[in-house]
Amino acid sequence: MKVTPISAAVAAAVLAAAVGTLHAQDKQTIATVVKISGIPWFNRMEVGVKEFAAANPTLTATQSGPATADAAQQLKIIDDLVARKVSALAVVPMDPAVIEGVLKRAMDRGIVVVTHEADNQKNTNANIEAFDNAAYGTALNERLAACMGKQGKWTSFVGSLGSRTHLQWVDAGAANAKKYPGMTLVDAKNESFDDANKTYEKAKEVLRKHPDIKGFQSSAGNDVIGIGRAIEEAGLQGKVCLVGTGLPNPSAKLLDSGAITAIGFWDPKDAGLAMNRAAKMLLEKKTLTNGIDLGVKGYEKVTVSKGPGGGLLLVGNAMVIADKSTYKNYLF
Amino acid sequence: MKSRQDPQLLFLLSINVLVLVAGAVLSRGSFIDPYNLQSMAGQLPELGLLAIGVMLAMSSGNGGIDLSGIALANLAGVASALLVAGLISAEEAPLLFTVAFIGVALTVALVGGIFNGLLIARVGLTPILCTLGTQLLFAGLAVVLSGGASVRVGNAEPLMDIGNGLVLGVPVSFIVFCGVAAVIGAILKFSPFGIRLFLMGTNPKAARYAGFAQTRMLVGTYALSGLVAGVAGVLIASRNVNVKWDYGQSYLLIAILITVMAGVKPEGGYGRMTCLFLSTTALQLLSSMLNFVGLSNFFRDCAWGLLLLMFLAISRYDVVAALRQAWRHFIAPVQPPPAPKSPS
Repeated sequence: MKVTPISAAVAAAVLAAAVGTLHAQDKQTIATVVKISGIPWFNRMEVGVKEFAAANPTLTATQSGPATADAAQQLKIIDDLVARKVSALAVVPMDPAVIEGVLKRAMDRGIVVVTHEADNQKNTNANIEAFDNAAYGTALNERLAACMGKQGKWTSFVGSLGSRTHLQWVDAGAANAKKYPGMTLVDAKNESFDDANKTYEKAKEVLRKHPDIKGFQSSAGNDVIGIGRAIEEAGLQGKVCLVGTGLPNPSAKLLDSGAITAIGFWDPKDAGLAMNRAAKMLLEKKTLTNGIDLGVKGYEKVTVSKGPGGGLLLVGNAMVIADKSTYKNYLF
Repeated sequence: MKSRQDPQLLFLLSINVLVLVAGAVLSRGSFIDPYNLQSMAGQLPELGLLAIGVMLAMSSGNGGIDLSGIALANLAGVASALLVAGLISAEEAPLLFTVAFIGVALTVALVGGIFNGLLIARVGLTPILCTLGTQLLFAGLAVVLSGGASVRVGNAEPLMDIGNGLVLGVPVSFIVFCGVAAVIGAILKFSPFGIRLFLMGTNPKAARYAGFAQTRMLVGTYALSGLVAGVAGVLIASRNVNVKWDYGQSYLLIAILITVMAGVKPEGGYGRMTCLFLSTTALQLLSSMLNFVGLSNFFRDCAWGLLLLMFLAISRYDVVAALRQAWRHFIAPVQPPPAPKSPS
């Protein structure tokens, strides 16, 4: 009695497979995989992916990402996409080291791999950076130092100790701050895991531990919101400086109240577009030469150099630092 | 003798088959092509091994649970990678490196498990609180040892083959998982230790009066759970080439979900390895199918939750009989035969 329904189901599966393999392979698919779904940063990137999909009806472009900031979950999604044999992967890795294995499997399978925010990724055909990360970190820190009057204690926040770009920014910031003997770095590299609430709790802890702290440099997109909220609650806006990566719209209220001094960013929509364009070029077997125009604002003249593995490193020019007076020019 | 089939096993088997068929149809065949089956078979051992650890802890009763599984797996991987890479070169002596790596990782994991067991059996801590604490302890140790960054496990061929290699088309990691499941399943079902463990889980007081060596059994159980976590750590290291202290933080709750959905009683005393195996494969298949179809990851958590609720309903209520009754009542009512007429 138990055997018959199961054997019938197995027979059905085999039939479905036989029918399935008769169908020819459809359109090429470029699958974008982001660090975590549902946060403003990557919602904005999805706008870019959708724009690319609309402009390229001969391709399918999708975006997916884990529900939590866990590199293992992102790895599972990429594993399944590789098994599904998409034509190209555009990945923003939560932790580049963890996905080296699966990206190698992807490339062995003939899948084009493009990454973003991972200039230490070995197994990739091309890694795209919006700007030179050290220059960005220095710029953020300079803005922070200017606000702090080059005096006082400051601390830094990162998404996680595996987030490559975040570490580059805060390390460059720390190196920059050494120019100013009056500035002291305390409790560096607090992890936020892209969670505004966790960041808020951590910021409150830091404010309690160092009541005389003068500045925060943060990295993940939601950090300025969490830290800004903590500063506002403590009534320290204007007295404590906060400079970090953030998007204009979500940070608007805190920018206006003075809790956030300045935000730095690049348009994730353009980054998503740039990744997909580069993937499309690689699928069409075009070479990415130095100075190439990816057809996206901020990536019109991309410097191309050799990456750490066998792939290329593409650096654009898309850095923006905005404060209370200028953020309204950017509506996202 | 009940002619009704075992509902839990039947439910798990049918879910596995259903998801396979649905996936095959929705993806027009690519879901069941060999590469994907191998990919899925390679993804599930990490979770399955952690679930085995949780099942062992739960079976021992007294609110037994092991929350420190993934943290211990990561610590084993990190400690082993740092220690062995410092002493042996992976390129020059790959086999020695592999053996040493596995040895150190399993030793670290075993020590962690014994530590858990001693705290629970000797000191008398509640398992959930104890393993919550040791989870943070192990993770903290791993952070201190690695400085928070990921540690590269050397490039030794035999070690990489464990995570990525195939034997007759079946991933080696899957074979390892099946092996561990078979061995521990046999221990639980047939050995005196296993039988006593379930008895102790059902009624700790009676076990004490019956003269069971409770302390030794608890330490042994949690040590075994730790050892299994160590195997998971080795598989993670060999598959990903890099180990990090916070890998798989979401695995903790997923492992518990798998265990509960296998019919393991959280209060102790009952659990079947066959059901645990099927539960692991069911969750992996469902997760991969949703990724194939392109549904959001948030929907996956929703689907898993629904599956768990259905499983609990099947275990609690006789759903098959209820469905049969509904069928008879609404769709195909059976007329009673006419009463026989008496002659003349």
